[in-house]
Amino acid sequence: MSAVPNAPGGGAAFISVEGVNKHFGSHHVLKDVSTQFNAGEVTVILGASGSGKSTLLRMLNRLETHDSGRIVVDGIEVNDDARQLERLRAEVGMVFQQFNLFPHLTVLENVALAPRRVRGLSRAEAEARAKELIERVGLAAHMHKHPFQLSGGQQQRVAIARSLAMQPKVMLFDEPTSALDPEMVKEVLDVMKALARSGMTMLVVTHEMGFAREVSDRVLFIDQGRIAADAPPEVFFGAQDNERIRAFLGRILH
Amino acid sequence: MLDRFLLGIHSFWPTAWSRQRKSSATMLTSSLLLIAILWTIAIPLSWAPEPIGNNAALFAQGTRMTVELTIVAGLAGVVLGLLAALGKTSRLPPLRWLAAFYIWVMRGTPLLVQVLAVYFALPELHPVLRMEEFTAACVALALNVGAYNAEAIRSGLQAVPKGQIEAAKALGLSKWHTFIDITFPQAFKIALPPLVNNIVALLKDSSLAFTIGVVELTNAGSQVKSTSFQAVPVFIATAVIYLVLTTVMTQFSDAVERRFDIEGKLG
Repeated sequence: MSAVPNAPGGGAAFISVEGVNKHFGSHHVLKDVSTQFNAGEVTVILGASGSGKSTLLRMLNRLETHDSGRIVVDGIEVNDDARQLERLRAEVGMVFQQFNLFPHLTVLENVALAPRRVRGLSRAEAEARAKELIERVGLAAHMHKHPFQLSGGQQQRVAIARSLAMQPKVMLFDEPTSALDPEMVKEVLDVMKALARSGMTMLVVTHEMGFAREVSDRVLFIDQGRIAADAPPEVFFGAQDNERIRAFLGRILH
Repeated sequence: MLDRFLLGIHSFWPTAWSRQRKSSATMLTSSLLLIAILWTIAIPLSWAPEPIGNNAALFAQGTRMTVELTIVAGLAGVVLGLLAALGKTSRLPPLRWLAAFYIWVMRGTPLLVQVLAVYFALPELHPVLRMEEFTAACVALALNVGAYNAEAIRSGLQAVPKGQIEAAKALGLSKWHTFIDITFPQAFKIALPPLVNNIVALLKDSSLAFTIGVVELTNAGSQVKSTSFQAVPVFIATAVIYLVLTTVMTQFSDAVERRFDIEGKLG
């Protein structure tokens, strides 16, 4: 996969999260979470279900609101200001567990829609870009099909192409392979690995330990609403002195 | 062959045609058929024995009036239904209350009372509200069918999965484009069968315009009956014309449904 044109240069703190709290009713999901994500970095976020890892991810493009604290993405404060939100979401791509492709549109239309509506591209321009991306994820033969005609793995690859069509500076993956049959996990991970190698900034909530080991620069482990570990994968998966991480990895790997 | 007639116009097209093409062809054919019927219905009616044949022109006029009432009130009713559905699903409480009140009143009172109220009671409230019979009938019918349409469209809007809206948001689509490109087409597909039900019901309910003196099909039939004293042929003719109209109408709506049926569930 070729380099992503809009990928920011490495080094600077691209996303900053400061003292963020989130409640769902009486349940305190995220507790005073602070961290930073750098441009060009691939971060894998691990944690048991209900630990708050998806919530953290969904706050970065305001699919969830935060109750307190501050989130800044590439200099854009994440809040309800409609203008800011539009800029933010145009820069942040997201891939969902359930793909969420638009069922009434073809593959090509799914990928070309947002660039036309948000970036103001002509249909021809948007479709040319869409075709290139659909080829990149290996689905050139399925351009004019509707989502229901594709396998789960193919749908998720379309969803990745759809996000990339907006030329985002960061891609969020919310358990992208969790809804897939085992034999389709690899085709999606391969696309994600190629994307990581191209220098894309990626935040990935997943249970795919192989992906975390092989591709990530950093592993965040979230436990009961707090960041319980933040380390490069070789350190994280190596000797662990933390009881809960050992227990979590034990459950995942065995 | 009988099968084909039961399945409708759709089954007559070459199997090689695409779903869209068959659907367009059916919509066009049924529209042309309706126009042809309205234009020429007096001719076959005039071949019928008395008292139908000698009153063919009156039946034809009544038929056209029934179709006019249905089309005008139907279009207005879909717009009203959409507005009320948006009101009912709005985040603003006053809009929700207004929509709920409208639906509550229109579904909770008889259509006959509504027709009479629009024609007789509104002008007493204010002279500006004085309408001629046709307009009053259209207003009452549109308000009534709009309330039923609102519930059909609301259920369609609410049946669109949350993930669809999240995906649209995440792509940066504005609220307007999220609605026009994502929510509405999916909601419309879900709402279509109940909407069609409502419009077919409207065609039949337009007979209540009779009570305020609109000479639609039922009124025309009734006039022929009172001059000829022959109830059986008159009501047979009236019923057959209603059946022909509802049949053509459902052919059109089936084609619309097929247009949205990308998964081929309708066969």
